[in-house]
Amino acid sequence: MGFEKKIIIVKYILGTGLFFVTFYLLEKLLSGFWLTLFLLFGINVILAISLNVINGWIGFFSIGHGGIMLVGAYTAAFLTLPPSFKEGILDLHLPDFILNIQLPLLPALLFGGISGVIAGVILVLPALRLRGMYFCAGTLGFNVIMTTIAENLPDITNGAMGLRQFPSYTNIWWVWGIAVFLIYITLMLKKSYIGRAFISIGKDQDLAEHMGINLLKYKIYAFSLSAFFTAIGAILWVHLILNLFPTAFGIVLVFEVVAMIVIGGMGSVSGSIIGAAIITLFMEILAPIEEGINIFGLYVPEMLGLTTVLLGVLLITVLIKKPEGIMGEREISLELFKRKIN
Amino acid sequence: MNYFLQQILNALGWGSILALLAAGYTMTFGIIGLVNFAYGEVFMVAAFAAYFALTIFNLPYWMALLISLISAIVIGLVIEKIAFKPVRRAGMITLFITSLGASVIIRNLFIMLFDAKLKNFKAPSSLKGVYLLGDLIISKKNILIFLITIILCTVLVYLVKNTKLGIAMRSISYDSQIAETLGINTERTIIITFIIASFIGGIGGILWGILFGSVRASMGAIPVIDAFIASVIGGVGNVFGAVVSGYILAIGSAFFIAYLPPELVGAKPLFVWIVFFIILIFKPSGLFRANIK
Repeated sequence: MGFEKKIIIVKYILGTGLFFVTFYLLEKLLSGFWLTLFLLFGINVILAISLNVINGWIGFFSIGHGGIMLVGAYTAAFLTLPPSFKEGILDLHLPDFILNIQLPLLPALLFGGISGVIAGVILVLPALRLRGMYFCAGTLGFNVIMTTIAENLPDITNGAMGLRQFPSYTNIWWVWGIAVFLIYITLMLKKSYIGRAFISIGKDQDLAEHMGINLLKYKIYAFSLSAFFTAIGAILWVHLILNLFPTAFGIVLVFEVVAMIVIGGMGSVSGSIIGAAIITLFMEILAPIEEGINIFGLYVPEMLGLTTVLLGVLLITVLIKKPEGIMGEREISLELFKRKIN
Repeated sequence: MNYFLQQILNALGWGSILALLAAGYTMTFGIIGLVNFAYGEVFMVAAFAAYFALTIFNLPYWMALLISLISAIVIGLVIEKIAFKPVRRAGMITLFITSLGASVIIRNLFIMLFDAKLKNFKAPSSLKGVYLLGDLIISKKNILIFLITIILCTVLVYLVKNTKLGIAMRSISYDSQIAETLGINTERTIIITFIIASFIGGIGGILWGILFGSVRASMGAIPVIDAFIASVIGGVGNVFGAVVSGYILAIGSAFFIAYLPPELVGAKPLFVWIVFFIILIFKPSGLFRANIK
């Protein structure tokens, strides 16, 4: 075994150790509001990075990931809801073996992720024929279609009434374990042949095809990767918020995720993390103001929609003043710091 | 057969509003390739202005009309100035996101200020009532809305086809730089296009208030998507095509509800998207000739 390899192994062991120590400490330290904030941040990192694979790398601007989230979340919901709720209270018309089980989070994540991938592959179909803004509009249609279907199948999804009584499965290990894993594989992917193929499709689809990149294959890869983790993000979100409605993943939520990747920089993994941090903090700090608070005797009335308004203002300002976002397509790395210091 | 005709007559009011919106939409879509999601908000602001003028300030109808059209044009121009002009060269996707942002901002601002509930819109009492044609029922509102739409759309088609302004618009939609070198004032033409589109959207908003008797802050969300789909189906930039597709979509939705079993009525929003995907797959240029490349 060479010296180089030994260093790499040491790096991995150190990284894993650091990960466990950090999150063990965080788990002990954080509680209540801050813990929820931290979990939402992790979920937003997952959602933002997986959206970035499509919107930033392969250059198809999807606003239909809400549909994928919905598919994944409902699939997982059928598996993790307690049987007493599924059969007793709601009387859902599902096959018996689904009605009678309550699975832990891992199989729910896997099955939800797989059904999300199926939804994502459906999204590849418009990506084959439509380009630019027409694809964008088509994915919006996908979102609307999924929401409408979920609303109109009362026997299966309980319609617009939504589902409740989710077990509270989401914790720091699941969220950040998956988030760190996703960060790692996307960073590795960016340096690999597959990731470069994605990026070259984003730069110029026709040129990429002439260079011998199989467009269909790589589009399916990219959409599957993105859809799998989007669905997982949605499942974790549902098991944190503990309810699920057909309109939960509507255009406003997708708009938030889009704002994260635009502000962070399209095509950059570290940009997505920064964007997710900014937007999560932004939304959670403004949320109490939206509900109306007392500041030193000065009563601020409730202003529903304030966060969304300010989010829109922030997004438009970034697009006008700094269209490439904070990071552009770069990544934070040790080399970058070394160059800055020199 | 009567049932069939009755569905068409019922859909006439909503179809006319959709046709108007699609006509306004397709103009900005054609000229700078802008998918303007904020157009629904122009429509909403006009309806709200008319509502405030009528209900809160008790102004006469003509004044409410004037106020609401002015506010529609102002909001249209403000959106253009703030959200579109700085990023006009940055490509369609950026324009799309800024328009989505502008739409979300204005809609939520209205929800914040005037809550999200339905508000009663006072329609003139002379418009209440129906006419009977044999077995068929046609409401006075629908006739008025249909006539206004036909007149406005005829003027608009004439304007785009035959006047100097219309020719300037079409030349910009082909190639704005060449149009500029040929002495067309691009900025001015784009502003005029926005004014016309906002005007049409404002009329649509008022007619919506008259037809449904209520306004609310999120009322622009669905019409703007329908108008977008109608303008794609009708061929981008083609006003006549957009008007016809607006009617096709509205009457199609009416049939969708009328002839399907009642469990599927909730699936109405799917209809326009199904049409959209079918058109984009089999005839991506739209049913009518597009006015841009």
